[in-house]
Order: sequence, then C-alpha cells, then structure tokens
Amino acid sequence: MGLATCWFMNTVEQEAGEVARGLRRRDASLIDYLIQQYQYRLFRYLLMLTGSREEAEDLFQETWIRVLEKGHQYQQRWRFETWLFTIARHLAIDFLRRRQPQSLDALLQPTEANRPLELEDTTSSSAFEQAFQGEEAASVATALRHLPPSYREVLTLRFHEDMELEEIARVVDSPLSTVKSRLYRGLAMLREWLKDIYA
Amino acid sequence: MRDDIHERALELIDKRQVESLTTEERNWLEAHLESCAQCRKQALETERALRALRSAAPRFDVTLVLTTQMRARVRARELIENAARMRALWISCTLSWVLGVVSAPLLWRGFEWMGHRLAISRAVWMTGFALSWVAPAVVAAAVIAWRQARGSSVTEAR
Repeated sequence: MGLATCWFMNTVEQEAGEVARGLRRRDASLIDYLIQQYQYRLFRYLLMLTGSREEAEDLFQETWIRVLEKGHQYQQRWRFETWLFTIARHLAIDFLRRRQPQSLDALLQPTEANRPLELEDTTSSSAFEQAFQGEEAASVATALRHLPPSYREVLTLRFHEDMELEEIARVVDSPLSTVKSRLYRGLAMLREWLKDIYA
Repeated sequence: MRDDIHERALELIDKRQVESLTTEERNWLEAHLESCAQCRKQALETERALRALRSAAPRFDVTLVLTTQMRARVRARELIENAARMRALWISCTLSWVLGVVSAPLLWRGFEWMGHRLAISRAVWMTGFALSWVAPAVVAAAVIAWRQARGSSVTEAR
C-alpha cells in the first residue's frame, strides 16, 4: 500500500471515528454538518429509489431523524455514506411496504422476477422529469422513469456515488452477482431508451 | 465467428463501465473499436448515456435542509433529555435495589414482630413482606416500560 493511500485511509478512518463519537453524543452541530454535506447525494438516491419528489423529501427528513436515533449503532469501519444509504433504503422499503403490501421476503430478498421496489406510477410522467435539471434532464428523466427502481438505485450508487460493487451489495443487501446483473441490465435499458429518445 | 467477436466487444464495452477491464481485455477492445464502426457506435452511445445520467441533477429545495436541520435539533434535544431521565431512573432503581437488599433482614423482623403483635397468620405477613420488598422494583419496571413504549410510539408517529 502506497504512502498516499495509507494516509488517505487513515484520514477516512479518523473522520469516521469522529462521526461515530459525535453520533453517540447526539451532537446537533455534527448532524447539521452531515445534513449539509450529504443533502444532495441522499436526496438524489431517494429520488431514484422512489421516483417521486414528495416521497423523497419525506424520506430525506426521516432518514436524518433515524440517523440521530440509531447513531450509536454506526461503526467507524463502515464509510458513513454506506451506512446512511442503508438506513435510507430500509426506510424506503418500510414506506413501500405500507403503500404496496407484499411479503417481507419479496422486499428484502428480491429476485428479478418479482421486481423489487417496483412502484406503481402514481405521479404524472412529467413529475419525475420536472424533478431534474440540466442540459439533458428531460431525456434522462424519461429514460430513468422507464427503469425499475432497483436498476435506478444501483445505477446511481455506481455512477453518481462511484461506489465499489461490494459497497453497493452491502447497501442493497444483495449478492454481488445480483448487483452486477442489475447494473448491466440497467445500463443496457438506459442506453436503449436514450437511443430512442435522441433518435 | 464474426458475431462472437462483436458479442465479446459489446460485453467488454459494458464491463469497462460497470467493473474494469484487464490490460489484455482493454487492448483487445481498443483494437477492435478502431476497426469496427458498429461497436464504436455502441461504445459512444454507452458513454453518452452515462454522461447524460451523471449530468442529470435533481432540483433541490434548500428549505428542505433547513427544515430537516431544525427537526433534527429538536429530536436531538429530546433524545438527550430522555437519556438523562432514564439514567436518573436507572440510578434510583439500583440504589433502591441495594437498599432493599441491605434492609431486607430488618424489614423481615419488622413484619414478623407486627404479625405477632396483631396476631396475623404467618402467610399473610410474609406476603406483605414480599409485596413491600418487590413493589419499588415493579413500579420502576412499569415506569421504564411505559416510557419506552411511549418513546417508540412517538418515533413511529413521526
């Protein structure tokens, strides 16, 4: 391991240690800082997962309250964002279970057949598209809306968050092979949809 | 045979983005892309799709952060206050238990004496002793259970 990598790892671990201690103390200023730091990334993840701006906003607030309440469970050997996204995901699953009752096994042990976290599209098609801004926002949002949430989820963790595949597997609580298969399928679907849109 | 080559190239185009390629795979793919317009188009479309995905930024309402920070501060204060109250309760429970153990022989004699004086049957004053001895613990346990149930129902209601 190089000196720079070693220094980086130490810094990351040190930061995670400070976060863990602060969460145990329920340090309000630390929570303020973490909300600021991860606001955008968490919101984007929740939006991708739920496909709804309102639900993403509700879950955003609930996630931080849960972080506060379960802060003593955070261990510094995990990266904070991995733990944060795991909490957000569990809340989203609870939310989906309330909205779309199905067996707990189907939600937590998803197979490709039962389309985990699949939401009924209760929002108008433009609502999801309006949630995005950027040059190609409308096209990407249209393409994303047609992807199952479980595919959107891994795509955002991989290509927005730059997470390693193992980390993604930990967040989504699925085997590495499932994560890879969702990534490949998601990428193929996204490419096809965008190809059609641009054509 | 040609189809196999294109199929491998298409697999590697996605693998390059999702995982990573070995040097041998990268060299092979680059060589293939130079000579195959169809696969090069697929590679460009993949890159464009990912560039578009990365550039798609959700609109973010800043007031959401302020609201969340305020809610988190209030909840943090509640949790800290609850923790302090629970700590006080646990300390008093422990002290009560220690005092109960220490005073048990005296209390036993007191109940025995009272039983003789009032001519109460042995079973009755012994039951009285047992009840007076466990009562503080039962009350404390009930308070703790009630507080915890209240705490979790408040959390769920939020």
